[in-house]
Amino acid sequence: MDTNENDILLLEKFFDEEMNATEREQLMQRVKDDEPFKALYEREKLLIMAIRHDGLKNNLGYLQSLEAAMEREPIATTSRKWYYLAAAAITGTLVTLAVLLSRPNDPEQLFQSYFTPYPNVFDPTVRGEQTSPLHSEAFQDYEQGHYAKAADELGALYKEHPDPGVLMLLGNANLMAGRVEEAKQNFITLNDKFDSLDLQAKWYLSLCYLKTGDMEPARKILRELGETDISYASKARELLEKVK
Amino acid sequence: MMQSEIIEKIRSGGQAELAWIYEEYRQEFLQWIGKEYRCSSDDCKDIYQLTILIFHDNIKQGKLEHLVSSVKTYLFGIGKNIALENMRKEKRYTPINQEKWLKEYLIDDTPQGTDESFFDLAKIALEKLGQPCQKLVEMFYYEKKSITEIATAMQYKNPETAKNQKCKCMARLRKIFDTEMTKPQNVVPHGYQ
Repeated sequence: MDTNENDILLLEKFFDEEMNATEREQLMQRVKDDEPFKALYEREKLLIMAIRHDGLKNNLGYLQSLEAAMEREPIATTSRKWYYLAAAAITGTLVTLAVLLSRPNDPEQLFQSYFTPYPNVFDPTVRGEQTSPLHSEAFQDYEQGHYAKAADELGALYKEHPDPGVLMLLGNANLMAGRVEEAKQNFITLNDKFDSLDLQAKWYLSLCYLKTGDMEPARKILRELGETDISYASKARELLEKVK
Repeated sequence: MMQSEIIEKIRSGGQAELAWIYEEYRQEFLQWIGKEYRCSSDDCKDIYQLTILIFHDNIKQGKLEHLVSSVKTYLFGIGKNIALENMRKEKRYTPINQEKWLKEYLIDDTPQGTDESFFDLAKIALEKLGQPCQKLVEMFYYEKKSITEIATAMQYKNPETAKNQKCKCMARLRKIFDTEMTKPQNVVPHGYQ
């Protein structure tokens, strides 16, 4: 491991808040004294700042859609102060209800809130297996968010090696690329033909139905998942409440 | 609910808690800021959204652990600063560009400030990083979720795998950023290389 790598590990420890006060002080002193180290520090800070900006932007989008939902369900107002005061206690509840009730009408928003692409835990480079160039390319494109390209490659890969992990990523890539009907078929096959990842497939299938506005099949799957004890169960129950 | 309970609820929560706090003070805040600064209904809402995001961010980043005043007073204080700062910059009340405002909020937060062009390159690098890395690093550095929480949410085998994946994602992000920096159109004298 060269010095640069050691320095990066040190900076990761610092920014991940894994250092004690003395270590932090020593690091900050080095930032002052050591120009190349300062450059690495500044780069790390900048990248984390960009990540935070992305997070803030996402939450801003979320609040904007929440506001739009509240505007679609305006609350009646009155000029009579006594009536307003009497109603004030329940207004907050009505606003909350209006937003909650408006959510089932906005399945796309719910989809956005609940969908996270399935991580590439099947990456062959992680497992140290020998792989073909198509393998590497497909996984790489998936990880880099080139979903349409990844979907084509994963589709070809699945034909060669019908593996549930590949099918799971294929479904996700299709979903991200906007090919929802193909994604549905991928998850249905994964659920019907394989013993592993079948419950995860159900979760993603429910999100596909949510995306296309097919609420009844979405509810049916979420109900099923909610009765299991897998890690998706609580999310499924929570989402079911919102689409009831 | 006690102030400390509100802070804890937001600190450990996600978007549902963000929505909750947004709804909780919305009406009162909009009435107050509309009267105080004579902003249009939409502009008042823009300020309120930024106010809630800053409040939420301060809690997540550990800058706000205890409140000496009420949440309402704290929120009104942030809102007032946003409105005044905007008026100072523009010499009169003009609509806020929320995204630009958030960028400046982050850049101004650093002791020496940051060159905007470097920040823009970092954003490009992040965009090129793609999913699921983007989501992972955002959960860690913005939402401040623990590695265990991330492992559960993103279905990793265990926290160690999630931690390993996070380090790999950051390594890739640095590499993309360095490549962006060396592109001829982006080469300027700087201290990052």
